[in-house]
Amino acid sequence: MTVELFNKEFEGHLAQLKSYLVRITASVADAEDIAQDTYLKGVEKINTFRGESSLKTWLFTIASNLAKDNLKAQKRWTENVTDITKAAAMSNPDFFKEAMQIRMTSPQGQFEAKEHIAFCFTCISKSLPLEQQLCIFLKEVYEFKVNEITTILDTTEAMVKYYLHTGRSKMIHIFDGRCALINKEGICHQCSELNGIFNPKQNTQEELMKIDLVKEAEKGEKEHLFDLRMRILKEIDPFQSKAAELQLHHLEHNRKVMEKYPD
Amino acid sequence: MSTTEKPDGKATTVKTTFHRETRISTEIKADPAIIWALLTKASDYTRWNSTVTSIEGNIVLNEKLKLKSVLDAKRTFTLKVKEFEPEKRLVWGDGQGNRVYTLTKSENGMVKFSMIERIGGFMFPLYGKMIPPFDASFEQFAADLKKEAELIMNSK
Repeated sequence: MTVELFNKEFEGHLAQLKSYLVRITASVADAEDIAQDTYLKGVEKINTFRGESSLKTWLFTIASNLAKDNLKAQKRWTENVTDITKAAAMSNPDFFKEAMQIRMTSPQGQFEAKEHIAFCFTCISKSLPLEQQLCIFLKEVYEFKVNEITTILDTTEAMVKYYLHTGRSKMIHIFDGRCALINKEGICHQCSELNGIFNPKQNTQEELMKIDLVKEAEKGEKEHLFDLRMRILKEIDPFQSKAAELQLHHLEHNRKVMEKYPD
Repeated sequence: MSTTEKPDGKATTVKTTFHRETRISTEIKADPAIIWALLTKASDYTRWNSTVTSIEGNIVLNEKLKLKSVLDAKRTFTLKVKEFEPEKRLVWGDGQGNRVYTLTKSENGMVKFSMIERIGGFMFPLYGKMIPPFDASFEQFAADLKKEAELIMNSK
């Protein structure tokens, strides 16, 4: 493959790559750095690319290895990350001042519950062991097949299946216990609360009922609800959506809080 | 210890004056890596294993574990991981006895999972009667492991 062709194809995969990286690192700066390093490494090793996998798989392999080096040094977050970060936001007057400024002035400052659902999943997925988190995103959001994930993560098909199954089971369990959108007993109402703050003229309940995940919640089919949640993530580009700046502001806030949060 | 028992998922117990030994084996159609991962990821145990109510610690060689079982919900067993041979053999135990897990690949692509617990000692005649039988719990453990491992193996 020539460098020119590589450049062109890299450009085509960049949005998904950055989306994946920001979701697994929860850091805009890290996602951009790793995407750039992936490009540089790709150019450097272009002669070793034999086309045995797709270029997308090859790029995600490089990016995942770089991200793993970065993430292994960091502690994992906790299941109740949204409770911890909410408390921190409530005690930080600058948080809502900055957020409201973005809401009022940025073309990417809208608040949409769907975007917050994706953001919430990103945060809580960081409570999973790293391999489980990566497998879930690669399979459920970026639509890699199990055999491609074995290449990306340099592991066996059996272990990819194990990580996927356990990660998925844990996330279903966590959301079933926490998310008031799918469980009336759920303890987290942040989507509704934030919609009330950022979109005070909207009827929050009506807005939420436009989301398939919420509409289908009554049926209580947990696996199906998880798939609907994943569909929301697939549809959203965290850097390009109309809510991107607001949600990335929240994500940066959460990362800073969790980095300082004691073990 | 013999491992020639039939892999039928039925537990058997042999008692002597100073010891009691319960064993079970079953065939599992799954990659041994999956079975091993299930047996050694402590934080995931209670999700698939209905006989364990809590387990703290890391299941790696020489680590200590605190385990609570449905057999006696009030009691916490403090155990040490004594052997750890990936995808083959795991042993944990305390002063009263050991539990041995073994995985053996069969030619038919199945894995034979065996679990043996031997408890006892010179004081066993004094306290042995207070220890509930393990058979039902062993059968449930093996059934849970088989179900979960095969479910993962068959996932797409």
